[in-house]
Amino acid sequence: MSKLKKAKGIEELKSRYGLMFILPWIIGLIIFFFIPIIQSIYYSFCQVVVTSDGVKTTWVGLDNYNEILNVDPNYEKWLEESILSFAYSLPIILVLSLILAMMLNQKFRGRIFFRALYFLPVIIATGKVMSYIFTTTDEDLASMGVSGGMAAGMISVEDLTSALNMGPEIAEFVSQAINNIFNLIWSCGIQIVLFLAGLQSIPASLYEASKVEGATKWEEFWFITFPMLSRITLLVGIFTMVELFVNERAPLVEQVYGKMRGGQYDISSAMIWFYFLIACVIMGIAIFFFTKFVMKRYEA
Amino acid sequence: MTIKQYFQDKRAKKSAVKRYTRSTAGNIALVLFLVAGGLFSLLPLIYCVSTSFKPLDELLIFPPRFLVHRPTIGNYAILPDLMASLRVPLSRYIVNSVGISFFTTVVYILVALMAAYSISKGTFKGRNAIFWTVQFALMFNAYTLAVPQYLIFSKLGLIDTYWIYILPPMASTMGVFLGKQYIEGNVPDALLEAAKIDGANQFKVFWSIVMPTIKPIWLTLLLFTFRDIWSAVPSGKIFSEELKILPQVVTQITAGGTARAGSAMAVTVIMMIPPIIVFLVSQSSVAESMSSAGIKE
Repeated sequence: MSKLKKAKGIEELKSRYGLMFILPWIIGLIIFFFIPIIQSIYYSFCQVVVTSDGVKTTWVGLDNYNEILNVDPNYEKWLEESILSFAYSLPIILVLSLILAMMLNQKFRGRIFFRALYFLPVIIATGKVMSYIFTTTDEDLASMGVSGGMAAGMISVEDLTSALNMGPEIAEFVSQAINNIFNLIWSCGIQIVLFLAGLQSIPASLYEASKVEGATKWEEFWFITFPMLSRITLLVGIFTMVELFVNERAPLVEQVYGKMRGGQYDISSAMIWFYFLIACVIMGIAIFFFTKFVMKRYEA
Repeated sequence: MTIKQYFQDKRAKKSAVKRYTRSTAGNIALVLFLVAGGLFSLLPLIYCVSTSFKPLDELLIFPPRFLVHRPTIGNYAILPDLMASLRVPLSRYIVNSVGISFFTTVVYILVALMAAYSISKGTFKGRNAIFWTVQFALMFNAYTLAVPQYLIFSKLGLIDTYWIYILPPMASTMGVFLGKQYIEGNVPDALLEAAKIDGANQFKVFWSIVMPTIKPIWLTLLLFTFRDIWSAVPSGKIFSEELKILPQVVTQITAGGTARAGSAMAVTVIMMIPPIIVFLVSQSSVAESMSSAGIKE
């Protein structure tokens, strides 16, 4: 070992260790991620037929993309819906989870309990439970064989609205709103935890100093909390954007899953790749502006 | 105009600045708000539990009632009978589930955090390229790549073996992403240099310096990975009954249709317990280690 050190220099040795550390993961990534991804891109330019002896592909060039963009009237609509829901969910989730994290960071009795409470959705929100909660349509109910549906069953919205003499539109609106609140709170768990970790890493001395200087809470937030959180905000932002885009409940992703279950791998690959392209552009722009105008300002 | 100037101006204009100190009323408002929000995360759980105690006729009501009116433990009581009709004893599924969840979680965390450490503190070329790849890879969820992945699994002969549970999570990028960000922010170079001067080799540094410092991140990963693997159903990839895990048993019970809906909910409730235990165990140390997250630069 010491011979190696002398011969190649410490930098070389360090980089060798570095590669050794990263190797197991890289191998996994290549086999289970890169190869499938290339396959999937290839599928989007092909006609794919699944037969008993494997997958048969015929090269068709841009036909699939032409199909979704020019022939299929629905694709653009789904795309628009997905991007719209992304555009309004992202700021709400970020602001809401930051507010909740700041509240949970206060000293009060039972805060551990409340932290656990807000993190609960993250723990139990897998498969089955989620489908029970977000099932609102009748077909879904029938397919599950259970008369479930959280938002429908939770509070009898219809009873409430008819008692108050409201029209069906308002009832629809109220149940929609309740569903949305659920959706949001259930999307905030991880964000709250990340923000909490960030808040706790801010040295208390900064706040003490600002208190001595006579800063208000509002100033404290903008001069200490927010700047100190800018890194973690970027992290949470990226995480949330990714979640929102690939979320199984995003309208377009839902459609792609449907098509995949139906065996249309060619069209669905094209659909998802075009969507990812747009998602990447949007995320790139968002990250660029955040790092350029928010983080740079404080780093100076 | 910078934000600072803006606030200075503003303060100059306002002669009397309202001081914010939290009163008793403020405290109550805080707790009320948290309770209201917390209800939204708690209610679904209550609903699941309440449904699991509903007798058959109440399960069929539409729109469903939130709370059970005449609770019965029938849904739970019938479970042993349902289990007895399984071809393989239930204990086998439990051993599979626990063993696989534990082993995969540990291996995954080690692989991911070693990679994260290497990306954030290593010196080799192409680190940035790798990290961009990680961010790109985050965009893909399992389903999108299901078909090509399946082809690779079958080529490697992983189908219908334990490896199908253990190996694919290795390609996951979330752990590397979170780990890299956290190590960069919380593990100062000075700490690593000091360890090296003291004669520790890289593995020693990773194991006894980096890992304890980034405890919050691996506890978080532990929770997520355990949750995902615990509830994963590798559909179409496992055929031998001896290799199946608990969620697949749940699927078999749910397949019984409406009559079994209550039991399905009962099993779902039982299945929620282990992740919650893992959470409770890690939560206390997460809170503790986050507040003392180590040396600051």
